[in-house]
Amino acid sequence: MKMHKIYQGGHEWIMFGRDLHKPEKIVDTNQYLVRSADRCLLIDPGGIELFAPMLAAVLHHAPVHEITDLFASHQDPDIISSLGLWDQALPHAKLHAAGLWEGFLRHFGCETIEYVSIPDNGGVISLGSVELQIIPAHYLHASANFNLYDPEAKILFSGDIGAALETPNTPIFVDNFAAHVEKMRYFHQRWMPSNQAKRAWIERVRCLDINILAPQHGRMFKGDDVKRFLDWFEALQVGIAV
Amino acid sequence: MMHQGHSKSQFVAVASIAAELSAVMNVAKDISLAAANAKAIAFRAGEKAKGFQPITDFINELAKDTIQLVVIINQKALQLYQLTIREHRLAEACEQFENAVALCDAATYADSLTQSLVLVRQRRSECQRQFPHLVAELLALLSDVMHPARAARVIAANSRIEASQAGEYMQSLQAVAESVDNAAQIIHDKVQQCRSALSQIHTDAYFPSTKTFS
Repeated sequence: MKMHKIYQGGHEWIMFGRDLHKPEKIVDTNQYLVRSADRCLLIDPGGIELFAPMLAAVLHHAPVHEITDLFASHQDPDIISSLGLWDQALPHAKLHAAGLWEGFLRHFGCETIEYVSIPDNGGVISLGSVELQIIPAHYLHASANFNLYDPEAKILFSGDIGAALETPNTPIFVDNFAAHVEKMRYFHQRWMPSNQAKRAWIERVRCLDINILAPQHGRMFKGDDVKRFLDWFEALQVGIAV
Repeated sequence: MMHQGHSKSQFVAVASIAAELSAVMNVAKDISLAAANAKAIAFRAGEKAKGFQPITDFINELAKDTIQLVVIINQKALQLYQLTIREHRLAEACEQFENAVALCDAATYADSLTQSLVLVRQRRSECQRQFPHLVAELLALLSDVMHPARAARVIAANSRIEASQAGEYMQSLQAVAESVDNAAQIIHDKVQQCRSALSQIHTDAYFPSTKTFS
């Protein structure tokens, strides 16, 4: 599991992914850790197959008892099927996830972790000195779906928006946007069902000051590539399977 | 991953017990229906089936006893299933935590995982301790449910004798006796299958194929 610090200020953002040892047929995923003075948030902690390498990687940055919060952008197995194992490792942690998905996510095992339901209009996750805004991104692609925005670090964790399914050897940032477009096109057209939802999300996100757009698969977007992505996504017709 | 094979056999055994118990419940309900039917026939037969009338009440009582016991056994079987899931999850957690320990040898905070690993091992040991006790309780309850089934067979034999003296109602009442006898035999067989499945778990639980933690 590779680790990259993508923000260092009063707190830290660390990106985990590009696991060369993952089972061949499962998609590569990006996980993120936000570390404040004494608390950590794990964003989309990943699938059950990646639990051990992910936990081992996190232990380079934080002790187990400081991982106080988990966030699941939606219900997919590559996002949170490891929940039952985190439930055994972090008995006092909280899981922030959509209220709509609670009865479904609990199938993964959630006996000791506290399930904090996120309402449809989003909310805030507080890590003491750090506050992250929960941004609604419904139907992109899941029916209840959220992003996380850090106004201090100017990072938007965008879940499957901006994702590309690539090999574990892929660089962590987009370096040639024009070339990257084709790696994203089909994924967004097929997985994202609603042009209306897409437009609402773009309108909401254009109001944010974003330096890094961090998806759950593939490369992150930095600087001008963030605007390039929003413009490209705005013009893209999605929901092509019907 | 050895614990998976072990748990899989437990899951299959517990599921098959639930299926057999469901069949037992249905058969017990059939007996109850047969008792009501017999009562109606005996009432119509009047003096000719005088000896049969109290037997119908016995049949009904036996069916009720069986149903009540199966409800309790079902609750215990559900507890056993939940314990099996819990043990499976804890076994998985033990294995994954050990993998993480092996992968994070140079990590700054590697030691912080120790407490979680110890706790998971303790919880798993506790599950393994509870398991044989719960299986033993279930075996005892399954033994209890055999009693009404045996009694039903005796009553069926008596019913045949009484039915033979019921004149034109003989055939109907003999059919009732026959159905009670068949039902009792089915219950006996199903419960034996439950006990056999449970005994297998029992053996596995006492002599687990997976490594245990102290």
